[in-house]
Amino acid sequence: MPEALLEAVALSRRFGGLVAVDAVDFSVRAGAIHGLIGPNGAGKTTLLNLIAAALPASGGTLRFHGEDITRWGPARRARAGIRRTFQNLKLFAEMTALQNASLGLHAGTRAGIFAALVGTPGQRREEREIAHGARRALEFVGLAAQADVVAAKLPYGHRRLLEIARAIVAQPALLLLDEPAAGLNATEAVNLAGLIRRIQGLGTTVVLVEHQMDVVMTVCDTITVLNYGRKLAQGAPLEIQRSPEVIEAYLGGGDEPPAAHAVA
Amino acid sequence: MTRIVTAAILAALFALPLFGPHPFILHMLSLVAISATVALGLQLLLGFSGQLSIGQAAFYGIGAYASGLLSTRLGLPFPAAFAAAGLAAALASLLMVPITRLTGAYLAVATLGFSILVYLLLKNEEWLTGGSFGLMGIPRPSLFGHVLTQPGHAYLLCVSVAALVYFSLLRLERSRFGRAINAIRQNEDAARACGVQVTLLKSQCFVIAAFVAGLAGSLYAHQVRYLAPTDFTFWKSVEILIMVVIGGMGSLFGAVLGAAVVVLLPEVLREVGDYRMLVFGAILMAVMLFGETGIAGFLGQCLKPFSKR
Repeated sequence: MPEALLEAVALSRRFGGLVAVDAVDFSVRAGAIHGLIGPNGAGKTTLLNLIAAALPASGGTLRFHGEDITRWGPARRARAGIRRTFQNLKLFAEMTALQNASLGLHAGTRAGIFAALVGTPGQRREEREIAHGARRALEFVGLAAQADVVAAKLPYGHRRLLEIARAIVAQPALLLLDEPAAGLNATEAVNLAGLIRRIQGLGTTVVLVEHQMDVVMTVCDTITVLNYGRKLAQGAPLEIQRSPEVIEAYLGGGDEPPAAHAVA
Repeated sequence: MTRIVTAAILAALFALPLFGPHPFILHMLSLVAISATVALGLQLLLGFSGQLSIGQAAFYGIGAYASGLLSTRLGLPFPAAFAAAGLAAALASLLMVPITRLTGAYLAVATLGFSILVYLLLKNEEWLTGGSFGLMGIPRPSLFGHVLTQPGHAYLLCVSVAALVYFSLLRLERSRFGRAINAIRQNEDAARACGVQVTLLKSQCFVIAAFVAGLAGSLYAHQVRYLAPTDFTFWKSVEILIMVVIGGMGSLFGAVLGAAVVVLLPEVLREVGDYRMLVFGAILMAVMLFGETGIAGFLGQCLKPFSKR
């Protein structure tokens, strides 16, 4: 596999006696949209949390751009260009959409306490750049009109988009999406698939954990299937749909693919 | 609209001594300005970054004693003692860095512990602080070789410091730093996922709040000119907390209003005699019924129909 942006070797996570992620080897090609699927409790979100360092790994190593990042904390990984969204939305509820998106640019900017107190020209320019960048990110996800709305007052679908805007505003190398289609209606899901493709177009590599198979099968270049914390299969969407092991895992021995109606 | 109101309030505060009010009123208002300064620091810590400290009296006390001791023992001029008071309190707050990992009730109890510790030090290290007898003979503040003997001048000094702190924190609130600490309060995980260095910023908030408390302590020392350890007990920490909460969490203006209420209300209630703290407590409870936004939020609601949006 050429040019792995992210590479996990024997990555594990135990919760007491339960092995949620069991020595998973996993590599994400730069520029890809990489799906992560599996039945409930397969360890998809845990694996995503290990990549984002929301949880520390119990074993194994993780490399990003070829560098060992296993011991890096979440903020450091975010600063290095690994951004994420959360399965249960974690927005800054009292802030406007624009302020939420602005936070995504925190890491790339530098004005500190003294610059803010004095109001240096550099600080003012940076503030304008942050506002400009945040506005562009909101436009990109289709929330330009909601810039000044407080996050808590946005409808659910908009809140999902706002989280994505906050995660991509700094143009990260890697974007981790944790069930972005959860709770969206059919139209919103289709729009989301288009949005994920456009994010890929910006040069951002995407790892997507998702239950809605039509979204996964439409946008992903590669799919990894997890089951009981282990890697079950990896391949292109069509291969995955035809894989007997995957079908067995999903349906317990039936003969239907995970999503027969999906458009590849 | 907000700017006009702010400018009007500021002008009124600075013009007040011209009307020759009673010295006692000026003294009380100076104390309001001093308390407002401490409360503004806690507003940054609690209202913005979400860290509950019930130990601000410790930093206030450290600032007061530092300033008092430096000017009585070493004869340091007021501006130097004032700056040193802020720095001493800020340095002491570095002891709190390890506990910024704590949150909620755990953090509150840890800061309370620190407050008790500082009180005991002030009380028992008699060779330095004078112990229970207190520290006497603190000179009046002086600026540019001019001693501020008139209550109006001391008042202007206190109001100037409070205003400076107010506008500085207002700038911080609207900056990248302010956004980040607000983000930490609202969702720490999400802030980390944005690359915010949570522990560092939380510690910085502690240092700023302590620095500001230290400055206020210095003003207090030179205003009252006599310090006793009992001025800086756990009860003082609670008072500072009450100012922030009844004023309105997250509102700098609220912290000032809260300070005014907590300092002035017991004086107003002197008429009620022995029952004044009882009435004071009841009023606090009633204010909290306005809702979580405190007095500032309540006023905001009242003024809403009048302000053009």
